[in-house]
Amino acid sequence: MSYIEIQCGEVLSSVIFIIEGELEQLPQRSAIEKHISACLPCTAEIAHERAMHDLLQETLRRTCNEQAPVDLHEAIHRQLRAQMAGTTEVVTQFSMTEISIEIDEFGNIEHREIQIEQTHIQHFSEEDRDETR
Amino acid sequence: MTSKDLVLESSADRTIRFERDALVFTDQLYAAALRYTKNPEDARDLVQDTYLKAFTSFHQFEEGTNLRAWLYRVLTTTFINTYRKDQRRPQIAQAELEDWQVAEAQSHTSDLGKSAEVEALENLPDSDIKKALQEIPEEFRMVVYLADVEGFSYKEIAEIVEIPAGTVMSRLSRGRKQLREKLAVYAKELGYSVETSKKAVAKAALEKGDQS
Repeated sequence: MSYIEIQCGEVLSSVIFIIEGELEQLPQRSAIEKHISACLPCTAEIAHERAMHDLLQETLRRTCNEQAPVDLHEAIHRQLRAQMAGTTEVVTQFSMTEISIEIDEFGNIEHREIQIEQTHIQHFSEEDRDETR
Repeated sequence: MTSKDLVLESSADRTIRFERDALVFTDQLYAAALRYTKNPEDARDLVQDTYLKAFTSFHQFEEGTNLRAWLYRVLTTTFINTYRKDQRRPQIAQAELEDWQVAEAQSHTSDLGKSAEVEALENLPDSDIKKALQEIPEEFRMVVYLADVEGFSYKEIAEIVEIPAGTVMSRLSRGRKQLREKLAVYAKELGYSVETSKKAVAKAALEKGDQS
């Protein structure tokens, strides 16, 4: 069986795609797969890379899990409330009533009323106002 | 849109919704900010700035899409635009990032080397893991953190960091490799025999020399 179509080096430099399950992105995908199925050292190398990747991931997750200081939670909450209080709401309300009365030749009266209402709210933060100055 | 939709959410309601949905990520964002800024004071400020920015543009966030990814995007752009500017840190040359696949000469490691590497990683103290992560270049550190700690897909990372997906892959590959090289050097100092490339050892020795 010929697996010399591509060299081990090429397989090993594509390890990231294999580990991330994105081998189909590479044009040489089938050549790589063929090579791996026939090459023991590459198979072992990929297994090792996978194991190291999982171990590294597990180690990083265990290590990088700091809690935010308690007062940071409070500071964020205060900041958001202050921001909310500093927000100006401009409410534009439009309302119109159209009344039509029709009297026909027999003296019948027809009366129609149409109500049109529209409300539009715009939010302006402190920052927006600074920009328009 | 009817007039009813427009009056649906008052600014108080929006604040409550934001606090309920977004603030649960404070610890996670803080841990990420520590990796980005490398110090607790800046990490604090960065998280606060991130929440303020996210809150003021919360109306742009499409409900039903990934809020966590959106917050990480705000965190990352805030960091790049504000905190990094102050440091005037040199950027990695683009060329260095692009020929990554060709440049890395790859060869097989021995079985002994493989088991030694696993053993070393299992025994390194947490402080060394954090130190190694801090020492790799920022561009690499960000994507490694987002992928391996936060579990974002490379496509999500491309959006968070605003770089092409191919660049995410190359930074991820090189970042993990550099991280492992650093860890191997620390492991050696602790007495584990790990195969390291001569380049990594020489570089570590050089950095040590700089510090003394």
